[in-house]
This record gives sequence, structure tokens and C-alpha cells, in this order.
Amino acid sequence: MGHRILIIDDEDDIREVAALSLETVAGWEVMTANSGAQGLARAVEYQPDAILLDVMMPGMDGPTTFRELRKNPATARIPVLLLTAKVQSTDQRRFADLGVEAVLFKPFDPLTLSAQIAGVLGWS
Amino acid sequence: MEPIGQPAMNEAIDRLWAQFLPQMRERVATLEAAAAALAAGTLKQAQREQANAAAHKLAGVLGTFGLTRGTILAREAEILYSGEPETDPDAAGRLDSIAADLRTMVETRK
Repeated sequence: MGHRILIIDDEDDIREVAALSLETVAGWEVMTANSGAQGLARAVEYQPDAILLDVMMPGMDGPTTFRELRKNPATARIPVLLLTAKVQSTDQRRFADLGVEAVLFKPFDPLTLSAQIAGVLGWS
Repeated sequence: MEPIGQPAMNEAIDRLWAQFLPQMRERVATLEAAAAALAAGTLKQAQREQANAAAHKLAGVLGTFGLTRGTILAREAEILYSGEPETDPDAAGRLDSIAADLRTMVETRK
């Protein structure tokens, strides 16, 4: 089944590899945003099935973007998966405590990223 | 879009590598400059923060392109630049060595 994913990440290389991975390996429809603010607008407009959200972004970072998504009734129920290069356990706990569906780590394997997401979200 | 096989995926990844190579070279150059400044005793906070950010970005992306050791080295540089490397007598040499290794990896993709 096709799914629609919004990727929010300020790093264009990561954004493009993730988009390529989800489109070509899983056949999902992907939209991207390069900032938290742009991501909030696209989430409302696009109503994706899930959002892959980078943690460290200039301006509005991932946790702040997540809280804004939850405040807006139009996006409050969209599952969010954080994507981070931070590997320290204190960071991991802090991110998990936000209430996101999962925390995924960079670097990711482009061949298995969609399976990771599908597994977390129970998509068969 | 219809799913494609691994060979086509690898080709697409190769194209993205070529597309983003200038950006990765720039990040490595940031690390080289910071390591040189550290060795010369002229590393300022702003340059250290730039190096920390460059190392963080490299750590996040190199493994995605198959350079797992690059991610490990960049992560080590990120940790060193997030502290006070000027107080660690071994840091300058180590960061210079990491920058050199990352330069080789980025240029050869090996």
C-alpha cells in the first residue's frame, strides 16, 4: 500500500537520500521541507501519513516543530518519527520523552529506512 | 513511483553522492581549517562551533553513503569540538588526523 511521507530536514543531502530511499525502495509518495516552519505548513496542506523530522535544525528545531504539530488540530494526530545523529543516551531519552512514535538514527541505510518506518508504524 | 531494485538504487545513490560531493568537501575543509587553527593556538569559539556543526553533519551523512568509518571519525571530531579541545594536548594532533582521514574518504569514497 502506498503511503505519504513528509520529510523535514535542513540538510539537503540527507533529505534527498531519504526521499529517494522511501520513493524507490518502498514506492511511497514523499514531500519534503527544509525547515520546521515550512514543515508545519506542508503538514497542514499535505496531510501525510507520517512525518520524518530532523532534530537539529536552525531556527525551529525538531522538538519545537513537533510540539507545534501537536498543538494544531490539523496535524496533531500525524505520527512523527524523529531523525537524529545524536547517539548519547541522555539525548535519546529526552527525544523519546517528547511523545514521538520513534527516534531513528543517522546515518540510516537507504535500503532499509522504509522498513524501519513501516515496522514502527505497523504498516504491512 | 514503483519500487526499484538494489542496483538501480545504488546508481541513484551514486548520483546523489556526486551531487553533494562539493558540500562534503566544504565540511571537511572546515574541519581541516579548525584543526590547523587549533594547532596554531588561534582557534576561536565561532570556528570551533562551525567545526562542531560540520562534524555533526558529516557523522550523519557519511554512513548513509556507505562510509561507516567516516561516521565514526566525524562523531569523534564532533565530541572533541563540543568540549574544549584547546585544553587537551592530544586534541590538535587527533583532529588533524581525523580531518586528513575524512579528506581521503570523501575524495575516494572508500
